[in-house]
Amino acid sequence: MIFEKTAKILADYRDMDIAEITMETKFEDIGLDSLDMVDVVMMLEEEFDVEIEIQERIKTVSDLVSLIESLKK
Amino acid sequence: MIKTPLCELLGIEYPIFQGGMAWVADASLASAVSNGGGLGLIAAMNANADWLRKEIQKAKTLTDKPFGVNIMLMSPYAEEVAQLVIDEGVQVVTTGAGNPSQYMSRWLDAGIKVIPVVPSTGIAKRVARSGAVAVIAEGSESGGHVGELTTMALLPQVCDAVDIPVIAAGGIADGRGIAAALMLGAVGVQLGTRFLVAQECSIHQNYKDKILHARDIDTMTTGKRLGHPVRALKTNFSRELSKMEYDSTISNEEIEAFGAGALRLAAVDGDEKNGCFMAGQIAAIVNKEQPAAEIIKEMFSQAEAVLGGAGKWIR
Repeated sequence: MIFEKTAKILADYRDMDIAEITMETKFEDIGLDSLDMVDVVMMLEEEFDVEIEIQERIKTVSDLVSLIESLKK
Repeated sequence: MIKTPLCELLGIEYPIFQGGMAWVADASLASAVSNGGGLGLIAAMNANADWLRKEIQKAKTLTDKPFGVNIMLMSPYAEEVAQLVIDEGVQVVTTGAGNPSQYMSRWLDAGIKVIPVVPSTGIAKRVARSGAVAVIAEGSESGGHVGELTTMALLPQVCDAVDIPVIAAGGIADGRGIAAALMLGAVGVQLGTRFLVAQECSIHQNYKDKILHARDIDTMTTGKRLGHPVRALKTNFSRELSKMEYDSTISNEEIEAFGAGALRLAAVDGDEKNGCFMAGQIAAIVNKEQPAAEIIKEMFSQAEAVLGGAGKWIR
């Protein structure tokens, strides 16, 4: 469920087809820079009601989803 | 007199910061600005805690007014300097080049007022949430590392985005700029380029002369390909760097290596051939070497006149 919602937010943000977003998608590859990531993370925080610390090592959708999973527990 | 909530918040006379410029903002300049009624900043840049401790202690002997430290978060020594400012009882910390959140709670617990430089409304909101007392909205007119948005566009948007005081930076070098920033919603300003030519600024005279003679079209940005653009005066160095960026046969690492240490060469050695003379777009109106206190006083009396006269347009 976390992946689906995250993918939807990313797809909406980049105005792309949700089917193009997989767990392996790198943010860099879909053209998201560090400023975009701040905005995306804020949307995710609202969606999942968590506080996400932006970290350098978060580079793929999978990284982000596991981070949110760990915060939801 | 121009007084804003920033004066009260920080215990300063004029709502002005001197930017935390690497290789420029040392104890001499910071204390001169603080003695002049503004907030001087020492740049921690890529230096280690030993160097910074000496500068902080030197500044304490030169001024009894508040001063701050600018911490460059990408510095390899960020962790140790983050602790040092606590140990030394520094009152204000400004941050650049990264996300300060990992140090935030430690600094706040120590009573440090944290004021990050922000290039977007999103980052402004985040740092406000984590406890920043104010933010510096820095537009791309600035010298050094720059964001995409201009001060004119960024500043009112950041003012709308957060409830904490906003300080304007980028493109300001006189009283008109200060007045304009206040009109856009800022309660203070941060200047870099104008203070490069302060008498107490220890940079090489060649650097000062370049600023004093710069024209409107004399700055350019390089490093966009590397993801961190830098504004500096057009010199052989920056033109060469720019050419390399357009050459796809040259790797990013080679470009990084070419640029490494170039600011130091400019500031310390005055190396006109290989130095990177960082400067803002407003350098052209900086024409006089003066004591920092005089710069501050002159700009604020001009700002006062400009603001006082603004009613003339209302019929």
